[in-house]
Amino acid sequence: MSLVNDHLLSWITFLPLIGVALILVLGRRDPAARGVALVVTLADFALSLVPFLRFDATYGGDQFVERVPWLFDGKVSYHLGMDGISLVLMLLTTFLGPIVVLSTWNAIRERVVEFMVFLLVLQTAMIGTFFVRDMLLFYVFWEAMLIPMYFIIGIWGGERRVYATIKFFLFTMFGSVFMLVGILYCYFRAGSMDLAAFLSLNLTRTEQLWLFAAFALAFAIKVPVFPFHTWLPDAHVEAPTAGSVVLASVLLKMGTYGLLRFAMPLFPEAVEVFAPWMAALAVIGIIYGALVAMVQPDVKKLVAYSSVSHLGFVVLGLFSLTTQGVAGALFVMLAHGLSTGALFLLVGIIYERRHTREIAAFGGLAHGMPLYASAFMFVTLASIGLPGLCGFVGEFLVLFGSFQSELLPSARLFTILATTGVVLGAIYMLWMYQRVFLGRVTNEKNRGLPDLSLREGLVLLPIAIMIVWLGVRPGLVLDRVEASIERVMGPVTERYVERTAPEASASGPEFAFEEGQE
Amino acid sequence: MNGVAFEPGFSRQLGDLAPYLIVAGGGLAAMLADAFRHGDRSGGLFGLSLVTLLGAAFAYLRPSGSGSDTLLGGMLANDPYTGFFGLLFLGIALLTLVFGAGPFGRAGVRGDFYPVLLFATLGMMVLAAANDFLSLYLGLETMSLATYVLVGGRKGSAHSSEAGFKYLLLGGFASAFLLFGIALTFGFAGSTSLDVVRAALAAPNHEAWLLAAGGGLILIGFGFKIAMVPFHMWTPDVYDGAPSHVTGFMATGIKAAAFASLLRVTLVLLPAFSSFWFPLLAVLAVVTMTLGNLVALAQTNLKRLLAYSSIAHAGYLLLGVLALLVPHTRQGHAAAEAAGGGVLFYLVGYAVMNLAAFGIVSFLGNPAPDRESDADDLRGYAGLARRQPLAAAALAIALFSLAGIPPTVGFMGKFYVFDAVVRSGLVPLAIWGVVNSLVSVYYYLRVVVTMYMAPADETAYDGRSWSSALAVSVLAALVVVLGILPGGVHRVAEAAFRAILG
Repeated sequence: MSLVNDHLLSWITFLPLIGVALILVLGRRDPAARGVALVVTLADFALSLVPFLRFDATYGGDQFVERVPWLFDGKVSYHLGMDGISLVLMLLTTFLGPIVVLSTWNAIRERVVEFMVFLLVLQTAMIGTFFVRDMLLFYVFWEAMLIPMYFIIGIWGGERRVYATIKFFLFTMFGSVFMLVGILYCYFRAGSMDLAAFLSLNLTRTEQLWLFAAFALAFAIKVPVFPFHTWLPDAHVEAPTAGSVVLASVLLKMGTYGLLRFAMPLFPEAVEVFAPWMAALAVIGIIYGALVAMVQPDVKKLVAYSSVSHLGFVVLGLFSLTTQGVAGALFVMLAHGLSTGALFLLVGIIYERRHTREIAAFGGLAHGMPLYASAFMFVTLASIGLPGLCGFVGEFLVLFGSFQSELLPSARLFTILATTGVVLGAIYMLWMYQRVFLGRVTNEKNRGLPDLSLREGLVLLPIAIMIVWLGVRPGLVLDRVEASIERVMGPVTERYVERTAPEASASGPEFAFEEGQE
Repeated sequence: MNGVAFEPGFSRQLGDLAPYLIVAGGGLAAMLADAFRHGDRSGGLFGLSLVTLLGAAFAYLRPSGSGSDTLLGGMLANDPYTGFFGLLFLGIALLTLVFGAGPFGRAGVRGDFYPVLLFATLGMMVLAAANDFLSLYLGLETMSLATYVLVGGRKGSAHSSEAGFKYLLLGGFASAFLLFGIALTFGFAGSTSLDVVRAALAAPNHEAWLLAAGGGLILIGFGFKIAMVPFHMWTPDVYDGAPSHVTGFMATGIKAAAFASLLRVTLVLLPAFSSFWFPLLAVLAVVTMTLGNLVALAQTNLKRLLAYSSIAHAGYLLLGVLALLVPHTRQGHAAAEAAGGGVLFYLVGYAVMNLAAFGIVSFLGNPAPDRESDADDLRGYAGLARRQPLAAAALAIALFSLAGIPPTVGFMGKFYVFDAVVRSGLVPLAIWGVVNSLVSVYYYLRVVVTMYMAPADETAYDGRSWSSALAVSVLAALVVVLGILPGGVHRVAEAAFRAILG
């Protein structure tokens, strides 16, 4: 057992790759590939519950640490660790894994083997990204995520898939290469690629500003923060359903995770300078995303723009620089992963039946497909933040945190503006729901559509359960992340504490100055 | 200078000279065998060449018998650096042999392919080992003359002959520049030996302008061979016209050999280079990267695309050489080692990924001997992923690696080189380098898009050769393995470079 016990994180990370090997060994047979992918992702989810159960919520540092020298006599190492933040995001990823595989049963009929291989490779890359504590290794996992997603969009996507996938690849890569230079620079200064060594660096203000810009650009594009969001609607709309789900639920979180884990704690002085700007972009994204979503004629595009809006809340929460705000941001990440993932699955289900996603082509669907309509309603309510469902807790905490923030200038203004995003969110979602599901059946093609099948129900049910569970028991997440957030945000908040500390410390330098004059 | 044969201990040097003797002997034997062979089959020649290359590799791997740093009266260096490159060249030649000849010497391969390939390899080995401008020139010319023949080696193809002739003419120019540079250096130091030049530079009151001019001309000579802008003009035409396996040989072997010698010479001429030539070389490196990548964007011919990509990669490698110029003078040993080790590692990685790419191009073009051109039109790759998943996957891996995306050897190579560049304080150059690799992603991805996402049309390429398929699979696997575990090769590369750092 110790082989698994001592390398728990490695097993969770690389189990999908073992599935890939298995698929390739079994030969190019579609049913086998589907079966292996499902079993492996389920096993991975089961395995990921082990650290969840054994997790020590009172300790904010890394647990289950693995460290093996990799290059340069250990200056670069294979260093994995898991704190509360990594834990919950990893669970989101492994939880969605089998759901995504199951959702492709009907949608993906061509080149199934390749699809499953790419999906599993992507799973490994995503899980690994949440665990790594070495910057070079982080970059490797970060970039490795691009390749499978590139193929998933490019091969199985819609009409403009090639354009969308190249745009996705180049946009993400554009930010990353500057981050690579930033990493190389910090490595040169720190003499080690370890995250801990980077954290203990003493960088000048100028260095911090440049490095933060390099890191934040990479992450902001991935989130995406307005105005770097233009790749997102294209990628989302062209991607196959499974691709959209992974993209929205997990890949977008990489950006905000990167901000929280790396960009902010590494360059606290720069955070102070950039925080109002990032918050402003976040608020613009919230409102802009919501307004653009409102006028979309295509359901999938609407959901894609709603992601821009939701992710704006996450960024606002992060740059509120308060524990509540950051915890809220993390919660929104999870909630958005669940509800938007479910929305994309639901859109995929209707697309399989009607081969269109135009809102205008629907109307009165609730008559023929009551189960589907109720499921859609439920997820819609979760997405707009109905209390009792998961969407509410996160957005509430974000707004609460940013309203209280003392570090962020004009925090209250940002909060008030962001709140309008909540209202707008309710408007565009419910309006869309009304046009698609309510009223009379205006289009004959919408009559006699089959309702949710058992498999489709099974795909949606676990997400629905989690939506309620997290809405009712947010402590499930919040208790586990609080210590970690305080620790990660330590470098940022410490600066604030130092500055506002009683005058004793402030008078020190003054006194010295007078002495110097004499 | 004494006659070489009378030098004491010559018999003991024989063991260390074995790799050169084996390849030269193998080449001569292959030439004779070709002259007297009957029929169209060349299986025997293939076997002979294979044994020669493996024998030479074995000879490199056994420990040095003479214990001396130089061979043949200081003409050739006898150090780990030489062995490192020698093994690299032998590996490249071996793969070229497989790609060019197929399993048992397929019909249609000209018999002179084998001896010429061996002579070209010998030239590279001598060039990398050359510790004297005379042996350097000898190695360079042996390599170049043999390559002119290889480039023109496609039977009855005007395209191929034109490429060979073009390469010959421009190569002649390059040699002239190099010779003039050597002459000036000789005028400065009174000897062609690198050791003497180094010693002369260490002494005060030298006429540095002679050496600066000489060094510059030598740099131009190398610039042709490594395809540095503005001496790159021949590259796309020659790469396109040559048979694909020869293109792979040139892109990897000649580039590596020229860089091997360039590094050795650079370290000697450093004092003359660093102040005067550094800014110029920096500009050339930047222009080389940028031009190579930008022009590659517009290519619809895969071999021309890879030709421009090879120009761009010469630019990345030059960044490593630049880093070497800075830390060597300003910071000291460790940083210089990192830079040199990075360049050497990059050359190995570049060889692996580029051979994989050209291997695919070569074996897709092979099976139809009647076809005038190679498998070089990008449209012919449409739908390759469906017809030949293995070939498409291997080419995709090679291209991702060329683009520098982890976890591939191409990324690690860039990491080592750019790390050295940042460490020597050239952050803007590193930024320009990564921006360039971003641009390059676009055209590499276009090939992948064609293979995986475009429907096939009638002109699609197809080919089967189990030996090439095996070689390409091994190379593609190596791209990933070296991308994840580069430490071993990098250590060897650093150790090899340490040997010439002195």
